[in-house]
This record gives sequence, C-alpha cells and structure tokens, in this order.
Amino acid sequence: MTDRVIVELSNIDLSYRRSGEIFRNLSLTVRAGETAIIKGGPGSGKTSLAELIVGRKFVDGGAVEVFDDVLRPGRTRAINRVRRHIGGIGGIFGLVPSYTVAENICFPLVLAGVGKRYQKERLLKMLTEFSLLKKASDYPRTLTRIEHTLVQLARASIADQPLLLIDEPMAGLDSSTAARVFEYLVKASLSGRGMILLMSEYPQGTLPNSTSYVISEGALT
Amino acid sequence: MSRLAHIFKEFGRNIYRFPFTALGSLLSLGLLFLLFDLYWIGSVTFEKTYVHLLSDLEMEVFIAEEVVEAQIPDVQAAVAGIEGVSSIRYISKLDAREIMHASLGVDLLAGYDTLNPLPRSFIVDFETPYLASDQMVEIAAQMKGMPMVTEVYYNEEWLKKTEGTRSIILRVGMALGILILVTAVISTVNSIRLTTRMRSEGLAQMRLLGAGRLFLAAPLVIEGFVIGALSAAIGWGVLMYGAGKVTFTQFDLVFPHLREIALFCGAAGFLGLISGYFGVRKLLK
Repeated sequence: MTDRVIVELSNIDLSYRRSGEIFRNLSLTVRAGETAIIKGGPGSGKTSLAELIVGRKFVDGGAVEVFDDVLRPGRTRAINRVRRHIGGIGGIFGLVPSYTVAENICFPLVLAGVGKRYQKERLLKMLTEFSLLKKASDYPRTLTRIEHTLVQLARASIADQPLLLIDEPMAGLDSSTAARVFEYLVKASLSGRGMILLMSEYPQGTLPNSTSYVISEGALT
Repeated sequence: MSRLAHIFKEFGRNIYRFPFTALGSLLSLGLLFLLFDLYWIGSVTFEKTYVHLLSDLEMEVFIAEEVVEAQIPDVQAAVAGIEGVSSIRYISKLDAREIMHASLGVDLLAGYDTLNPLPRSFIVDFETPYLASDQMVEIAAQMKGMPMVTEVYYNEEWLKKTEGTRSIILRVGMALGILILVTAVISTVNSIRLTTRMRSEGLAQMRLLGAGRLFLAAPLVIEGFVIGALSAAIGWGVLMYGAGKVTFTQFDLVFPHLREIALFCGAAGFLGLISGYFGVRKLLK
C-alpha cells in the first residue's frame, strides 16, 4: 500500500428530485492498494456512489477526485481517462451485448491502444485464469449469471486497472463461485490495486489492507 | 486490435448485424438521388439546347430611306460600337430582295427593279452574356435612339418565354434539391438513430469503460458516409445503364462530367457523414 490517494470524496452532497437526499457531507478516501468495503442495504446509495466515482452522476456539493482528476460535468476527457483506470464489475457495469466474450474482455486494452500481440497474450491468460476458453467466441446472451461475472472479472483484470469498483460481487452466485470470486478479491487486494467493494452482505473471510464502512442515511460510518 | 481497426470492425459489424436497416436507407436514398440525377440530366440537356437556340438569336436594325449609301459605313460602325455586339452584317435592298425571293420561292419584285420598297438593314449578332431579355431591350433602345435607324426587331417574345421556362426549371431544381437534401438527411439520421438505439446498451457500457465520443461515434458516422456516397453512386449507375439502352432522336441526353458525378457522390457521402453525426449526437451526450 502506498500513500497515493486514488479516490477522494470530500464532504459530498447528493439528492435526487424523486427520492430526496442520498448523501450529506459524505467523505471517503481510498489509497492505492487499499480496499474499502462499503456495506449498505438496498437503496442506501451504493450504486449512486459507484456512479459518482465513474463520473456518471455529479455531486450537488463537495468534490469527487479520482486519480487526481476532479470529476465535474463537462470534463469529458478527464472522466473518460478516469474510467479507463477503473475495472468495473456488477451493478452499473455490464457486458457489451454485440461483443463476444473475448472482445468484451479485450475492450480495455483496445481503449488503451496497446499492440495486438500483447492483447492476444493477455486475453489468453485471462481466458485461462477464469476458465472461459470455451466461451471465448460466445455472446453475452448465451452466458449464465456466473459466466457473466467471470467475464467481468477478466475484463477488470486484463489491463491491470489500478482501481476495481465492484458492486455486489457475490449476488446471485453459488457458493463455489462466490468462494472463487472472494479468492480473486484477495489476490487483487494483495496485488496492490485499490478496491471499492459495494455490498449488502459481507462474505466470510477477511480481505487484506481493507477498511469497512457502513453506508446509512446518507453518511458513511 | 488497434483503435482504428476496431472502428472499422464496428462499422462492418453494424452493417452485418442490421443489414436491412442499412439496405433500407441505401435503397431509399438511392431512389431519391436517382430522382435528383434525372432532374440534373434534364436541366443540363435543356441548358445545352437553350444555349444553342440563343446563339441563333439575331437583331435586325432597319435603316432610314433618306440615308445615302456613303453614310452606311458610319451607321454600321455606330451600331457595331454598341457594347455586346459581336458581329454585324449589312443587307442592301438587293440582298433583301434575294432573301425574300429565297424564302417565298417567288420574286415578287420582278419587273419593278427600280421601285424596290424593301428597307436596308443590319443583321446583328451578340456575345453570349448579352443574350438576355433585359440586355436586349437596352441594346434595342440604344439602336432605336440612333437618328438613321427606323426600326429594330428581334424575337422578344420567344426570348422571354425561353427565359421563363429556364427560370422555372431552375426554381424546380432548387426546390427539388432542397427537398431531397432534407429527406436524405432525415432518412440517414433516422437510420443511424435506429442503429444506435438498438446498440444503446452496448454503447452505454463502452462509455462506462472510458470509450470517448469520437471512438463510439466514428463507426456510425462512417456508416452514414458510406450509405450516402454509395446510394448516390447507385443512382448514377442505374441512369448510365438505362441511358445506354435508350436512344432519343430529337435530342441527345447530356450527362454531367465524370468529375462532377464523383464530386456529387462525395458530397452525398459528406451529407451522410453529417447525418450520421446528428444520428449519434443525442445518444452520446
């Protein structure tokens, strides 16, 4: 773990016209290599938090700074740059329906503009690591829920994005896949990547370098 | 895969996955451009005929009886000096009699050689830019104002009618052009918008992963360009094939130059490109 701050939410306020106030004076700091586990029930604002971090929504007050870029409306380039540094799994993140599994996994590398050879090498590694070799040319509509999650994990890992943003990683998974995902989280945590885990239930076991928070009534405790 | 390769692959994928959307816009635009091309050929053919007919337009300037033969060169020089006159020919009483004889087939003045009442005149030709009603009226007035000229005649009514027809064709062309332009834009925008709607989920995901607007819009904008250019080329292809099978006896069809056709296809492609941009703009906001 280094001292470099990769995500900083400073005294943020957010409210929606329909559902009212979501966050009030909420602050969160995540450093490189650190894992922030944010627990909260349905409607507590976990997905809104993810949306703020990827610049899909913007705060009413306070500031959101990710990888030294302040996310504000209109700062499209900065937002895209930040998004390319984030490996997203679950929640707002899904797969591109018109892409095969291989194309979905490779997409962050295409955006990064890396060479074809390196892309192939990394893809093969990811397909092998996540047992997706046989599914490489399949489309998302033919995949099971578990396979969907595995493809997202592979996509979030292929470019070694320095931040993983994971929304309900265990939801809908059987116990053995959940255990596999947890194992992946441990590995990712140890690899020095920052992680933000948004979940309603925390599984058994502990993650290294992690800090747990509870999100409730618009604030983190 | 490089970004550029990815963009072109996406373009191919769009066509492959939604072939009927692309084919529909290709055919509807092709028909629109065919209509426009037909009009274009018609107007170019008319223009050529119009220029040919105008080149035959002459003005007859009749000389007063009291003007003596020695003064004719001065009058001729004065008429030839008027702006726009390209050539001038003198018609003596004898020439006039021969012309009348040739046109009627009978020499009505046979036996009355000394009493020839036909006036002497000049036949005046004009430079092309002056072969227009307003210019001709002005020139005729100038000639009429000369003391030794009694009458000036040219086919004023014919000129006005021909100019009127030309003006109508131009206006119809302009209206048709604007109509086709608007329809082509709307048709392409709708086609691209339909494609983006069908792919909206995927595009939203790509945006979340950090894909920029240009990266996402490029395949669709390229699609607009290709559909526009290709449909324009199809229109011309059909017409050229058709023209090769039909012959006209009264006139020859005049096609625009190949360079103009290529420019037109390029412009149609550019129109498609702009339409493609408008088709994706909303989605990428």
